[in-house]
Amino acid sequence: MDTRDAFRHNVLTSGHRACSGCGEAMAARMVTDLIGPEAIYVNATGCLQVFSTHNQQSAWQAPWIHSVFANAAAVASGVEAALRARGEDTPVIVQAGDGGTFDIGLQCLSGMIERGHDVLFVCYDNEAYMNTGVQRSSSTPHAVRTTTSPPGRVSEGKHHLKKDLISIVAAHRMPYAATATVAYFPDLRAKVDKAMRIKGPRFLHVLSPCPLGWDHDAALSVTVARLAVETGLFPLIELEYGAVTGVTRLARQQPVEEYLKLQGRFKHLFADKGGAEEIRHLQALADANIRRYGLLDANTEWDTDRASQTQRHGRGGYAASSREVSP
Amino acid sequence: MNRLAIEPGSTVAYHTGDWRNQRPAYRDKWPPCGQTCPAEEDVQAWLALASDRQWEAAWRTLTERNPLPAVMGRVCYHPCERACNRAHLDTAVNIHGVERHLGDLALQQGWRHRPLTDQQQTQQVAVVGAGPAGLSCAFQLARRGFPVTIFDAQSTPGGTLSSGIPEYRLPKSVMQGEINAILALGIQLKLNTRIGADISADTLREEFVAVFLAVGALQPRTYPDDGYGDHSVMSGVDFLRRINDGERLSLPGQIAVIGGGNTAIDAARCARRLGAEVTVVCSQDPHGSHGGHPGAEIPASLDEVNQAEAEGVRLRYRMGVQRLVRSGAHLSGVEIARVDQIHDRHGRFNPVLFEGTEEFLPASLVVFAIGQEVDWRGLEPLVQTETSGIFVGGDAAGKPRFAATAVGSGYQAAMSIIALLTGVPPHYEHHDKAEVTFRDIKPQYYPRQARREGALMAASPGEFSERVAGLGNEAAHEEAGRCLNCGICFQCDNCWHFCPDAAVIKQGQGYRIDDDYCKGCGICAEECPSGHIDMERVAG
Amino acid sequence: MKSLLEGSRAVAEAVHLCRPQVIAAYPITPQTHIIEHLAQFVADGDLSAMFINAESEFGAASIVLGAVASGARAFTASASQGLLLMTEVLYNIAGMRLPVVMVCANRAVGAPINIFSDHQDSMSVRDAGWIQLYVESNQEAVDTVIQAYRIAEACELPVMVCMDGFFLTHTFEPVEIPQQTAVDEFLPPFHFARALDPSRPMTLGGGSEPDNYLEYRAGQHRAMEQARDVIEAIDADFSDHFARGYGGLVDPYRVAGAETVTVTLGSTMGAVRDVVDTLRENGMAVGALRLRCFRPFPAQALIHCLAGAKRIVVLEKAFSAGAGGIVTGELRAALHQAGLATPVEGVIGGLGGRDLTPAVIEAIFRRAATGASSVACRFADLNSDAAPST
Repeated sequence: MDTRDAFRHNVLTSGHRACSGCGEAMAARMVTDLIGPEAIYVNATGCLQVFSTHNQQSAWQAPWIHSVFANAAAVASGVEAALRARGEDTPVIVQAGDGGTFDIGLQCLSGMIERGHDVLFVCYDNEAYMNTGVQRSSSTPHAVRTTTSPPGRVSEGKHHLKKDLISIVAAHRMPYAATATVAYFPDLRAKVDKAMRIKGPRFLHVLSPCPLGWDHDAALSVTVARLAVETGLFPLIELEYGAVTGVTRLARQQPVEEYLKLQGRFKHLFADKGGAEEIRHLQALADANIRRYGLLDANTEWDTDRASQTQRHGRGGYAASSREVSP
Repeated sequence: MNRLAIEPGSTVAYHTGDWRNQRPAYRDKWPPCGQTCPAEEDVQAWLALASDRQWEAAWRTLTERNPLPAVMGRVCYHPCERACNRAHLDTAVNIHGVERHLGDLALQQGWRHRPLTDQQQTQQVAVVGAGPAGLSCAFQLARRGFPVTIFDAQSTPGGTLSSGIPEYRLPKSVMQGEINAILALGIQLKLNTRIGADISADTLREEFVAVFLAVGALQPRTYPDDGYGDHSVMSGVDFLRRINDGERLSLPGQIAVIGGGNTAIDAARCARRLGAEVTVVCSQDPHGSHGGHPGAEIPASLDEVNQAEAEGVRLRYRMGVQRLVRSGAHLSGVEIARVDQIHDRHGRFNPVLFEGTEEFLPASLVVFAIGQEVDWRGLEPLVQTETSGIFVGGDAAGKPRFAATAVGSGYQAAMSIIALLTGVPPHYEHHDKAEVTFRDIKPQYYPRQARREGALMAASPGEFSERVAGLGNEAAHEEAGRCLNCGICFQCDNCWHFCPDAAVIKQGQGYRIDDDYCKGCGICAEECPSGHIDMERVAG
Repeated sequence: MKSLLEGSRAVAEAVHLCRPQVIAAYPITPQTHIIEHLAQFVADGDLSAMFINAESEFGAASIVLGAVASGARAFTASASQGLLLMTEVLYNIAGMRLPVVMVCANRAVGAPINIFSDHQDSMSVRDAGWIQLYVESNQEAVDTVIQAYRIAEACELPVMVCMDGFFLTHTFEPVEIPQQTAVDEFLPPFHFARALDPSRPMTLGGGSEPDNYLEYRAGQHRAMEQARDVIEAIDADFSDHFARGYGGLVDPYRVAGAETVTVTLGSTMGAVRDVVDTLRENGMAVGALRLRCFRPFPAQALIHCLAGAKRIVVLEKAFSAGAGGIVTGELRAALHQAGLATPVEGVIGGLGGRDLTPAVIEAIFRRAATGASSVACRFADLNSDAAPST
């Protein structure tokens, strides 16, 4: 065990092989440390699994299991059933990428939710199959360049829209489903905390930038995630039993170009007229989100300013407080 | 070998630090508030303590450089607030309000200054002038064990603070309280003692190994008119001194005050309190219209200007005095005209008026507040010969002539005196630190939050009681909490939260980078709210 | 005391006796009655287990994977298409060395779709790393399920109990259901050393590389090799407890002195036994052998029983198109390895629920007994007129 840090557990600790600036590693570290090591983690195949277990080494400091790509939600169902059969209530957490959630894992996820398993499913969404070399998934946004949705003489990248997964999940009469990003830690913390207080199936969709696949500077992983929210392209919302019960209002709205221009995966859109039309389309999609969820006029104090507040002399906010010592 | 279950945390054997080509470094920067503070206060440090409700510690940190916080919190023109990076986010931190609160708390609680050493020095130091510069110098020396004697020609200490600043801005009791606390360090104060008259300069030189001359600039610059002394023309300095001495002048109905400095505004507001119609004629612009052009902005504190206007003082900007208009011995008013330029090409104050723009401003009294000079009479033997051990500071040393500058020069003089007496060169902090501008600040991590002001109390004619209320603990705490902590670590945990590699380790009071694992992505520096983290290239 | 029970019901009772904590399944004919009975036991409060209705067989296999990895005894059952849908997870369970027990209610695989029995489903996952035990009767199904948990948990290998769909699952036979106390004595509670547990955090299912994957697989093979002795020992122990045994790996019938021996699997053995008796009465030196344990392949036990035979026929209900019978090929290899040149005829029959009647079986014996040259692979009871034209 690695106990370098007295203020957090580092459930996902150092020495993992994620790329420099990996948004998924960041997201998973935040989420798992908020939950702590007194939980069982089930991982789908994907970047997170690949970079965290390698060469008979593991970066995990909590019980962790990986089976195959599609079945994480079902494995977690079994884990939870086993615990319940013994009368134990150790939390069970699934971690999966967008492939293991939106696409190949959707059926198991649906089954897990429908059966009401007491499991928190966390999707770290980096909007493509990054592990296999940046192929498009159903989570890839419209007009994005991937290796299987390449822009070409007659194409501006991906032709189809990002799947509205949160609505699909919420439509299961889901006790709790929420979106979050790495950029707003207090928002993420509030959602993880809330999710952990609720029994039954819960879903957390965390947008996690990928410097490799999104083709942005490694230092900008948080910045890019913040812009995804501030443009309206990735609304931060909470749904309970299918109804929208929480919205993180945008303190300021940014034009989508501010988000797109930082990322190579949208570079082709700035090259020609066809691309300009797609940018207008993406702006229209952002505007539609803003209208749909009232991102600018929701009657709430909780806005992107509050959701990114830092604390002076922060004590971490992690579940590690019981271990906290003065080194 | 194969393992069906892998050891937890076993990847720590794999050092990803090899991957990086840059690494983060935590570096304290020098914030604009401290950088612009004429007294070189570590504003940021005492604001941080105040935001933590460590009131006494905050006061002690503040008084390291400025033993007059209750005074300065009231009278300083607070350049720190103009420089404050927070102004780009919403509004600057109310630094002077918190400073005043700390000073007031100290008076209320009777906090006493503590000497920095038990060791008593034997070398006697004389300070001439019990104004802010002299008091500041004496305070620094006394805390370090040097016996100090202050000489002042007046019957009360405080210098310009006492004679030049009206009661409604600086209650006498507040000033006296802070001076008493300074003197309590064991400083000798000899009042009604003018050098050259009551004690000779030579005697002073013989009895003291070092002398600090902080005699102020109390000689008013005069307008070339022969009317002084006939009650129709007066200097701002004299006008304010008489009022501060308790005299309630019987004023004519209309008064013109000439000048744009704090003396002019103070005089105008006093005159207003005594029932006169007052017009201030100044050659400068109000704030903003010629932003960035030195001297083009009115030198008086904007708060004071605004309060003056609210009290009914009229201001005529970019106007200068052409001549005084008399009918016989009686002053009927002032002819004023539009100013073309304020400074000549050498940068000297030298207004040029436009012909044909003249106006008549009726007034039975003109108060000229157009600058002050040093009165060196009696001090010539000390300043005219090149002797070591003689130091000049405060208003007497030149411009800018602000109380806070005087406090700063008192500190500098004390350090120079100690260096001379001990042979150890003075130690200056901060000078090697990089600046931090708003470009280095990540505004998204700071919530917008309204600035708390001390309440304005109604001013009624004849009323010289204090106009602005203090902040109180809650507002001062809140206001101190608005500090962005530019360039320093306030333990927000961002670097620690965001590091994808667990390469930022939290320690008791901060963080360290674990070089074994840092991949050099730069997210910690990019997301550091206060610009405290720099990325450096590493060889390889 | 024996009761007349449907095979599925009998198996469900056996599962019940093993005290599973998690049962997950997705319905598929002819497995359905097994899980329906289990669901009823749980619904009635007789069985204290979590009964999870999976969204697919893939999910069901994954659920029991998770349950066993968490230290729970678990059960699932499937067949045919469902087993194939599980395939990815079956390999994974075995690779992770999780002692899962399942019943395969053997059924044909489409296309064309067919709900009736043969062994093509379980044979197609023979390389997944599961122990496969083929049972002849409902009593053996009951007893083998109980043995399976002991074997699985002792070897940390998954066990698939293969019982013929309809022929066993839907057939009523008198069956002795053991007493709970006796089963508890035979089968101690499950303790899994690698269970997911925050007090002993471990990583299961981590990545491997070219320099260690081979060793993982070799370890799996070694465990299977060692499982043969365990299977035999547990069958022997079972017989001590319950006075019933099945020979462990192989179940020979009148092979002593037999010149022609038919090797088969599953319920077909019942008819084969009758035919052997008839032919013996007619003076023919015939015998039979039931391959109870197909994985691990019991080469030595087979050689031991078959060394005296002059001719061997393998009658099997699965094949590899373009290669022939699966057991046939493996048996030939084993004989060859043992330095025996006994001819082995490969006969494929009973596919898609086709009855292997005594007449068909007798014809197979008689043809072999004539000493006619062995055919590598032929189909018994093949109606040439019904074969589709291409």
